[in-house]
Order: sequence, then structure tokens, then C-alpha cells
Amino acid sequence: MDIPILKIEDFLVVTIQSELSDDEIYALQEDILSRIKDVGATGLIIDITALDIVDSFMGRTLSNIAATAELLGAKSVVVGIRPAVAVTLVELGIRVKWNVNTALNLERGIKLLKRLIEAERRGGAS
Amino acid sequence: MKKELSILFESHADRLKEEWITEMRESGLLAKMSDTETEKRYTALYNAVVSTFSTGKFDDVERYAKEITEGVVLRDTSVERIIGGILKLRDIYERFIFSEYRDDEEMLYQLLASYEPVANNILTIVTMAFVEAREQVIREQQKAMMSLSTPVLQIRDEILVLPLIGTIDSERAEQILEELLKRIVELTASVVIIDLTGVPVIDSLVANHMIKTVQAAKMLGADTIITGISPVNAQTLAGLGVDLSMLITKNNLRAGLWHAEKMLGFKVIRETE
Repeated sequence: MDIPILKIEDFLVVTIQSELSDDEIYALQEDILSRIKDVGATGLIIDITALDIVDSFMGRTLSNIAATAELLGAKSVVVGIRPAVAVTLVELGIRVKWNVNTALNLERGIKLLKRLIEAERRGGAS
Repeated sequence: MKKELSILFESHADRLKEEWITEMRESGLLAKMSDTETEKRYTALYNAVVSTFSTGKFDDVERYAKEITEGVVLRDTSVERIIGGILKLRDIYERFIFSEYRDDEEMLYQLLASYEPVANNILTIVTMAFVEAREQVIREQQKAMMSLSTPVLQIRDEILVLPLIGTIDSERAEQILEELLKRIVELTASVVIIDLTGVPVIDSLVANHMIKTVQAAKMLGADTIITGISPVNAQTLAGLGVDLSMLITKNNLRAGLWHAEKMLGFKVIRETE
């Protein structure tokens, strides 16, 4: 299954519409990372509003994508985590190693990204 | 046998009714009840009982029990009166069977054998209906108490306050978590202030639930500020060795609110001196 990766200004937006198999998750990870490189994106938003279940593999991969994107110069935010999913992820204990920025919805995600980028720019300048 | 019983009762309906009313009056179970009300009560019971004997099914008794329990629970008449009435009716009918078939021992035995289980069953059904109705009330009250115990209040755009009062056990903690996450999504909150002023004891269980709540809220994009931890509780927490470094804690609700406003860029100023 091909998951569209949309480019808005300097950000990439990926909306995951349905449960993915482990292979599809791997493929998505590679797609996203190569697109970041190609377009020189400064931000990445992964929207998982449609997901009812996020297992530990998915959780870990999201974390990996975020960490790798950071190395490529892009900040990332995961948006649209549902309450039940949040509880599951917390119970999996994933948060301990989970340095992923999160926001309630796409709009908040964009705001957060802008703030993070702004903070870094200012931090770098001083 | 049951058919015969129903015919027997129906043919002497008036006499049995008189007897029931007299005995009920004497034992004070009909105190402060008008004649029409007494009549109505008896007829309802009588119909249910006789239909049970004639059809052999307990549908009417169940319907009767439902109606009567609703009435009792709502208007708070005493259960004693209803059960007393049924017991009286049972005794009167049984004595009546005895007096009718005194000379025919065989028949008497058969009639009683079919009468007693039915009579007992009717009583059980009505009693169970009462118990069930009371339990229903208790369940509803528990639910109401639970929802009252977790008010999530919105006090600014994007700021929620959750003042917790009373002890927190696992079940309540789960409920708090669930309710809070629901409200964060509904109200698109960015900061949540959990005020623990009213929580007498904070042990490791409560602390861990707090951490879990903070983490889950964070995943929905909301930061959490904990306020109102008493000195005693703070000491306990420090002694427990629970890692609380990820929590933002403030002295009291006022300080928490101030911090939240600062995080979101709110500025509250008094217009006049």
C-alpha cells in the first residue's frame, strides 16, 4: 500500500489511514526519510488519527522515524493520538524511551513545529 | 391441580378478599390507606396470583412485582407492607384449602403440593424484585458519585483544572485518566492543572497513576501541572523513590494557574487600581 506523503511549505505531512503490517511500516519509514532528504524538509507531521491500535512495533518505529528525521534536519510531531491509544502506549512503557513530540491535531502540530524550529533558530543564532 | 386451585379461589373471591382486608387491617399493614387504595392493591395482587394458578406461568407476578417495586422505590412505601400482604394472602388461601378439603385427605395433599411451591415462588419473585430495584438505585448513585468525583473544568481557552478530592484508588484513578483524556480532546486543551489539595494521602500507587496520566496527556499534546501536594505527602513522595522529575509541580492552584497562563502567553491584568 502506498501512503501519500504531502508537502506543505517546508513540512511533510503523512496521514496513516489504516492499520499497517510490519513490512508496510518499514517501507513507510524509508519513504519518509528519503522524501525529507529530497525536498529538504524542516518539519515532519505524522497523523495517526485513524489508528485505533498502535502496537509496540509501531510505537518504536514512530520514535525511530523521529530520531532519524532529526539527524536529517527535520523536527517531527506525531498528531492525532487517541485517548485509548495514549493509554496503551503509556502502559507499554514506551514513553520512557519515547522522545517524540506530540500534539492533539494537525493544526496544533503545525504550530508546535513552527515553535520548535523558531526556538532552534534563535538558539543557534545566540 | 393448579387449574382447580384457580377455580376454587375465584369462586370464593369475595370471601377471601374480605378475610384478607380484615386481617391486614388488624395487623396495621393497611394503616392510613383509603378503601379504594386497599381495593386496588388487593385486586392487583389477586389478579397476579390467580392468573399464575390458572396459566401456570409467572409472567403476571413478574409484571406485578415490577409495578409494585417501582411504586415503593419511588414513593417510599414500606416493603414490609407489600411482603406482609403477600404472606397474609398465602396463609388465608392455605387455610381456605384446608377448610374446604378437610375430609378428603388425598385431595388435600395433592392440592397443597401444587399450591405451596407456587405460593413460595410468587413471594421469591416479589422479594427479588425489591432487592433488584434497591441495587439498581445503589448502582445509579455510585455512578453519579463517580462522575461527581472527577470534575474537569475549563477555566481558560486551552487550560483545564482537575481538582481532586478524597482518596484515590486504582479504579478511580483509571476513571480520572479516562475522563481527563476525553475532555482534553473535546476541549482541545494544551495545559491541565491537577490540584491535589483535597487528596489526603498520596502513596506510590497514586504517584504512579499521576505519572501515567501526565504521560498520556502529553501524548495528546497537553502539559500537566500538579499543584497542592501537602508537605507531608511531598515527604512521602521523596521517600518513595518514584521518579517525579518529569512532573511540573507548583505550590498551589494559584501558582499552577499562573504558570499555565505563562506557558500559553496569557497575561491577566487588573484594569483599575
